[in-house]
Amino acid sequence: MNLYPAIDIRGGRAVRLLQGDYERETAYDADPVEAAMRWAGEGARFLHVVDLDGAKAGMPQNLDVVQRIAAAVSCPIQVGGGLRDSAAVDAALGAGAERVVIGTAALRDPEFLGAAIEEHGDHIVVSVDARDGRVALEGWTEEGGEGVVEAVRALSGRGVARFLCTAIEVDGTMEGPALGELGAIAASTDAQVIASGGVGKLADLEALARGAAPNVEGVVVGRALYEQRFSVAAAIAALAVAA
Amino acid sequence: MTARICILDYGMGNLRSVEKALEHVGATATIANDGETIRAADGIVLPGVGAFPKAMSRVRDLGLDELLAERRGAGVPILGICLGLQLLFESTTELGGATGLGLLSGGVAGMEANGLKVPHIGWSPVRWEKASRLTEGIESETPFYFVHSFAPGPSEEDVLGTAAYGTRFACAAERDNVFGVQFHPEKSSTAGLRLLSNFAGVCAAAPAAA
Repeated sequence: MNLYPAIDIRGGRAVRLLQGDYERETAYDADPVEAAMRWAGEGARFLHVVDLDGAKAGMPQNLDVVQRIAAAVSCPIQVGGGLRDSAAVDAALGAGAERVVIGTAALRDPEFLGAAIEEHGDHIVVSVDARDGRVALEGWTEEGGEGVVEAVRALSGRGVARFLCTAIEVDGTMEGPALGELGAIAASTDAQVIASGGVGKLADLEALARGAAPNVEGVVVGRALYEQRFSVAAAIAALAVAA
Repeated sequence: MTARICILDYGMGNLRSVEKALEHVGATATIANDGETIRAADGIVLPGVGAFPKAMSRVRDLGLDELLAERRGAGVPILGICLGLQLLFESTTELGGATGLGLLSGGVAGMEANGLKVPHIGWSPVRWEKASRLTEGIESETPFYFVHSFAPGPSEEDVLGTAAYGTRFACAAERDNVFGVQFHPEKSSTAGLRLLSNFAGVCAAAPAAA
């Protein structure tokens, strides 16, 4: 299983939010590029970059930072946050993203999603973020009401090759991932799934690698890495040993 | 000594990440397509992303095909990356076919992935099929990052590395001082940087550019 160290950018800095709440932010690195280089230097094989300002604004706000990260690290990066039309997707890929993560727009704008998949195929990841099993939209400040499992099933039918599934209740808490919900989502699709939210210790990663369905290909880890609960290298080892 | 490496710019590919990675391993990297800069370099990297026929026509329009042949004749090490590797071969079947640089013998063809999705995108372990200065210090079966739909068919004695995706395919080739890798070393973490560092070492040891 792959490790995706997370870099969330807000106001030019690397931050973590608690449960997606923009009012409960912890700032870590003054320069997100430094965080990226730290994780990559420790052997990360992917980075997960989120433009939080972009997610809130509905269009990318930090592509200059994305570009600096992409040029600075020797691993592929996936980028999300505010990618709601094809121009934004092209700009993110042009900035050096290997994959782009589409959230709200994939659910609200089937035509855009179809075109993005047609054009970029496996370079498209669809983010489905859930609170209490329901889909949350608009930088997580709004709920869509649709059941997460139903949403994933429907999107799979439209050709989505990879999902990023975030459990908002546990995100930023380091109290362990929402394994039950993840299992239900993974079982509802043949696509690849990246789990996100709640990882706080190596045992969480081991439990994921041992217990998750085979199509759960990776896990995003944020706060636990910033707070040095474990290293990138130890996380990669934990995900490999149990596999 | 510090190797001066020229990254050929023919308008296709993410040159910045290759440049950064080479600088990271201590080489002096320059992005250029003029004869003067290319002739002054100890080594040449041919990067590339996109379709082979279009790339080759740009390479020819810029006269880079002749410059590469000349530099290869002078013994200057050349490293092709991804599409850049494919261009080193004689031909491709992509988009109705095209002629390549012919610095390595063999052709390029669509991947036979036995039902797996093409393009092949992701980390795959690479098996070294022979010893090489390019791969010194990198264990066989170390994963590298791939994004490609086509793969080369080198002469057997030129095959440096293979990977498995549906079927086993050649993903690294070497003949004299001409090297090519189908994967992206600049995106392949510490192993990729080691490979680029090794290439810089080969360049530094090669006869000085004239």
